[in-house]
Amino acid sequence: MKLNIFTMAAIIFMTANYGGLFAQENEINTEPENGKPAPEETSEAAVLSGYIRNYTGVLAKGGNDYAIIQNTFDIRLKKQTENAAFKANSIVYHNPEKDKDIELMLREAYVDLFFSSMDIRIGKQQIIWGKADGVFITDIISPKDMREFLLPDFEEIRIGVTGAKSNLYLNDHALEIIWLPVFSAAIPPEAGSIWRPEPSFPVSPVFHNDKEEVDGSLKNSEVFAKYSLMTSLIDLELIGGYTWDDEPVMHAYKTIDPATKQITALDIYPEYHRLTAGGGSFTFTIDPLVLRGEAAYYKGKYFNSTDPALLDSFVKKDYVNYMAGADFTIWDIKNSAQFIQKIILRHTSDLHDKKFQNLATYLISRDFFNETLNLQFFVYYDIDNKSSLMRPKITYKYADGFDILAGANIFTGSEGKFGQYNKNDMVYTKITYHF
Amino acid sequence: MKNNLTNNKMLTIALLFIFKANGLTADNLNGLQVVQKAYNKPEPKTQQAVLKMTLVSSSGGKRERILKQFVSNNGKTEKKIMFFEKPSDVRDTSFMNFSYDNGKPDDQWIYLPALKRVKRISNDSKGDYFMGSDFTYDDLGDRNPNDDNHQILKEEILKNENCYVVVSTPKDKNYMYSKTVTWIIKDKWLVMKKVFYDTDGNLLKTLTMTGHEKINGYWIRTGSEMINEQTKHETIMKLSNIKVNVSIPDSYFSERRMKRGIK
Repeated sequence: MKLNIFTMAAIIFMTANYGGLFAQENEINTEPENGKPAPEETSEAAVLSGYIRNYTGVLAKGGNDYAIIQNTFDIRLKKQTENAAFKANSIVYHNPEKDKDIELMLREAYVDLFFSSMDIRIGKQQIIWGKADGVFITDIISPKDMREFLLPDFEEIRIGVTGAKSNLYLNDHALEIIWLPVFSAAIPPEAGSIWRPEPSFPVSPVFHNDKEEVDGSLKNSEVFAKYSLMTSLIDLELIGGYTWDDEPVMHAYKTIDPATKQITALDIYPEYHRLTAGGGSFTFTIDPLVLRGEAAYYKGKYFNSTDPALLDSFVKKDYVNYMAGADFTIWDIKNSAQFIQKIILRHTSDLHDKKFQNLATYLISRDFFNETLNLQFFVYYDIDNKSSLMRPKITYKYADGFDILAGANIFTGSEGKFGQYNKNDMVYTKITYHF
Repeated sequence: MKNNLTNNKMLTIALLFIFKANGLTADNLNGLQVVQKAYNKPEPKTQQAVLKMTLVSSSGGKRERILKQFVSNNGKTEKKIMFFEKPSDVRDTSFMNFSYDNGKPDDQWIYLPALKRVKRISNDSKGDYFMGSDFTYDDLGDRNPNDDNHQILKEEILKNENCYVVVSTPKDKNYMYSKTVTWIIKDKWLVMKKVFYDTDGNLLKTLTMTGHEKINGYWIRTGSEMINEQTKHETIMKLSNIKVNVSIPDSYFSERRMKRGIK
């Protein structure tokens, strides 16, 4: 693994120093107004940045076991000129408590080409859409790494996707077109993880994984488009995508003994399915509020059903997901509230999920002592199940680039998305040095 | 000689009386006119610079912020975009502000590289302190003279500059300062010093200009210090690599540029 890290670093440096594409050219014409503008030539090396972090969390219940103990080395190399840029971001996780204690990930590695009214980005990249905080509505491109549930920073939750992105610009308007030739799936919690409640089966299931892969082919490509407008009045996005559901559907086929009516065998076929989505988002200001909204229509999502007529326990439905939110400041305290609702269309009573699923989030944040100290409280509240995830934290900037964070994740309730983790309350610290 | 002295004294007393009586300077300017002259002083259409801020705590600890800023003003709208370079944890963050001459509230956006998203933020944040400094966003901008009532206090020589001293009280009683006292250099119309009082009327901050230059015919403030008199925290601000009336295309002030940054 060490060899891999050094090899990658060497490749990154060689690219940085010898990439002929990245001929130096500065951005701004610097002649006075009575002279003809002329580009200023500069010589600027690639910028190396990143962070080193220790993240230690202890479960508040159940013997104070470690919820996480992790050392992270995030390294980024970026070089940019007026015509082109490249960026590489790899991350090394050291998890001393796990069997596989070193994990190397390439989060992003892409090349940018800049033209007068168009940009092209090719390679592995994180792509983020939408206006919602902490929830994913039109943010349908980068899949999610859910190994630690929703607890990591969102930059770490989103997985880079490999593809080409083109942006076209005309005044305040922009059109983004994305082609992903290679499917990237969401990463579920590992077996045995505290974030993976094991489902109970009537009999031991047999998994058939032959359909789980999505082959890389033109036919299996994903395509997305986004129109955006940024004006003084409103920021607006309209999106569409022909994609894959990032999570496989666990088609479950039961064998029932006709005499006893008991299930004698359970065969599970994980399979990814196509999903079509369209929607939009907006932000505008009505003093002193910043109002945000986001909505998407998803066509062809599979939902778990108890209908005995269904052989595999799943039925295809369309659904709508939307968010309405507001940001405001009172007495130097920043507040952000969101209401999120998911509506399954043509809902039937046999579905495991309710027709309406309601969620709310609230963020409070305040800086003290010239931004050296920050107190923050964020809560997800599952209205239907009366369960929540509360995340208080305090961050102290000990010095420039050096942060000490202490926080807690508190799960309340007993059911639903958050209540199911009510034994996973944890306190944690993160000590980070940015360079 | 005695008569001359007596006459001079009488003239001075008379001038002071006239000055106090009508609130005018010797140039027949009232407080609003002085502040308006500072507000409307000739400004370049565009300006770019590197801004370095050193934050000094009461115990002497220092923190440093460096950013590049680009400003364009067409007379109706001032557009400003800033790219943060230091400290390392905010590198590649950018901030954009559109300020309107017709009194319309500012539009503000911030790009956070970790979120890879441009967010519109509330223009209500003018009272927020900029990057942990002692300058609020409002301190960094030009406050519209019509937002305050102005009164000439005196004329004074400060650091060899002839200044008008103007006391300004906000028309909005909820404004973050109860009053400010400003030393404005005659002819240059630059703010030499400004003293801020909190909502309880106590001395809060003192701003002092530490450097100014005439660049391409425009007076530009190149250095300033803001001391919070209550916490003894201090911010030293310096502008360098200043270029005025360079060609900055309007497309520079865009979401595209916020995300892309500059190099």
